[in-house]
Amino acid sequence: MKRKARMQAILLTALILFTFVNLVPILWGFLISIKQPADAFAIPPRLIFEPTADFHIDVWVNRGFLSFLLNSGIIAAATVLISVPLGTLAAYGLARTRTKHAGKLLFGLLTIRMFPQILLAIPFFVMARWLGMIDTYPMMVMAMVAMNQPFTIWLMRSFFVDVPVELDEAAMIDGCNRWQAFTRIILPAVRPGLGVTALFSMLLAYNEFLFALILTGQHTKTLPVAIAEFGGEDINYWSISAAGAIGIMLPAVIFTLLVQRHLIRGLTFGAVKG
Amino acid sequence: MWLFMAPSVAVMALVLLYPFGSALYYSFTNHYLGGPTLRFIGLDNYTALLGEQRFWADMLTTMIIVIASVALQFVIGLAVALMLYALSGGVRIISLLNFLPHVVTPVVAGIFLKWMFVGRWGLLDATLIGLGIFPPDWLGDPVWAKFSVIMADTWKFMPFLMLVLYAGLQSFDTSLLEAAEIDGATAWQRLIHVILPMMKPLIAFVLAIRMMDAFRFFDLVYVLTNGGPGTATETITLYTYQLAFRMLEIGRASALGVITLIVVAGMIVVMILLMQRGGREAI
Repeated sequence: MKRKARMQAILLTALILFTFVNLVPILWGFLISIKQPADAFAIPPRLIFEPTADFHIDVWVNRGFLSFLLNSGIIAAATVLISVPLGTLAAYGLARTRTKHAGKLLFGLLTIRMFPQILLAIPFFVMARWLGMIDTYPMMVMAMVAMNQPFTIWLMRSFFVDVPVELDEAAMIDGCNRWQAFTRIILPAVRPGLGVTALFSMLLAYNEFLFALILTGQHTKTLPVAIAEFGGEDINYWSISAAGAIGIMLPAVIFTLLVQRHLIRGLTFGAVKG
Repeated sequence: MWLFMAPSVAVMALVLLYPFGSALYYSFTNHYLGGPTLRFIGLDNYTALLGEQRFWADMLTTMIIVIASVALQFVIGLAVALMLYALSGGVRIISLLNFLPHVVTPVVAGIFLKWMFVGRWGLLDATLIGLGIFPPDWLGDPVWAKFSVIMADTWKFMPFLMLVLYAGLQSFDTSLLEAAEIDGATAWQRLIHVILPMMKPLIAFVLAIRMMDAFRFFDLVYVLTNGGPGTATETITLYTYQLAFRMLEIGRASALGVITLIVVAGMIVVMILLMQRGGREAI
């Protein structure tokens, strides 16, 4: 028994140490964002200093990051509003069909996810230039829906599969048609799944960089592009950039806390139910 | 039932199939934005790329980065998952904290890591100099830059493997493990002969996902080195990006995209075959 307790203590210590080392890049970024540049890059690293929130305020207010946040928010919200309803309908159809074609369609969707993103980015760029739609929200949202749709369908399908078919059948015996059974009985039963799918698809759109880099411009620039482009002419550049990076990271942290019980399912296309 | 699928299928035909179709078509043309009219040139783009030294160098760089980083994150991810599995309390908070690097916006992760690697001010250099060790040029030396990119990818994606493999461990029937323990198998033997064979399908699945994603690796390396120094860390995706959006060579870039797709598909097929053969040998 004693040996077991000692094993546990060693394991716990090792894991805590590992976690700390693993989080050092984030902690370090946070420290830079609340230090004056002179403190931030002193060698050896200075651990005692006077913290400041100046750079956090500066990046959002004076450097226009608030408007980039708005752009990111509009694009992510529009993507979810289009992608999730469409994907949910299709996922229900697929979860309740047992034909060969349905299996083929599902496999096809998985194959599409394997495609290099850049192969999709090229025609979108050509199309956007041709239509004069570079730097517009609809173009970027269209690209995000394209990227999201296979994922949304797979994830939602895994939640529908968890609901027994007998529930549909019972509703239909009680006089519902297929559509009523879906909206009144099945959809409420998968409500948590809907939330999880919406959050995952929002994060995908929020984090997207390649498409944002080529399809957005002055009016629609998203946070990842803004922080990547943030220039170095300023003496406080590092600190402001760190403040921006920490701020952009926050929604991702909140997201993790919200979906913690469903992380594995979301990460694996619904294939592994954690 | 097909009515439920119709709207989604229609949208996907418009925003997925049509663009992929046109990219495939462009790959057989001399399409150049702002240039003369589009002309069909057969396989010329493909043969030109295959005859280029830059193409092969980038392919090799990509392969090195993909294989090294996926192998490294798999080993670390599995080790952490096993430790979590053996731990009796506090698992949730530890796994959540370790998961954070994975959800951080890739560009932001690139910036955090840049402050680790950057010369003189970076935390790595500061620490090493403090210890009296002369640090290498993490991002400026062709070999070390590859190392830094591999470390960056590992940091970002190890959590994914950790979490999925841990879920796999938890879904186990523990009686097999207990039987092995009673039979006197050491921890290492239990790992090799019981745990890994049981997890084989899951391992094949996550490795396939990771390889596909690592192959289209873009955001992190764009921020960290942008392919430099020179083209030492230029991956196939970065090269495609340069071709398409800097040089506007749409036809050539599309061909490169199609080649990437073929290589990735081939890699996945080989991996699945290897896993299956291994499976049969085990029986």
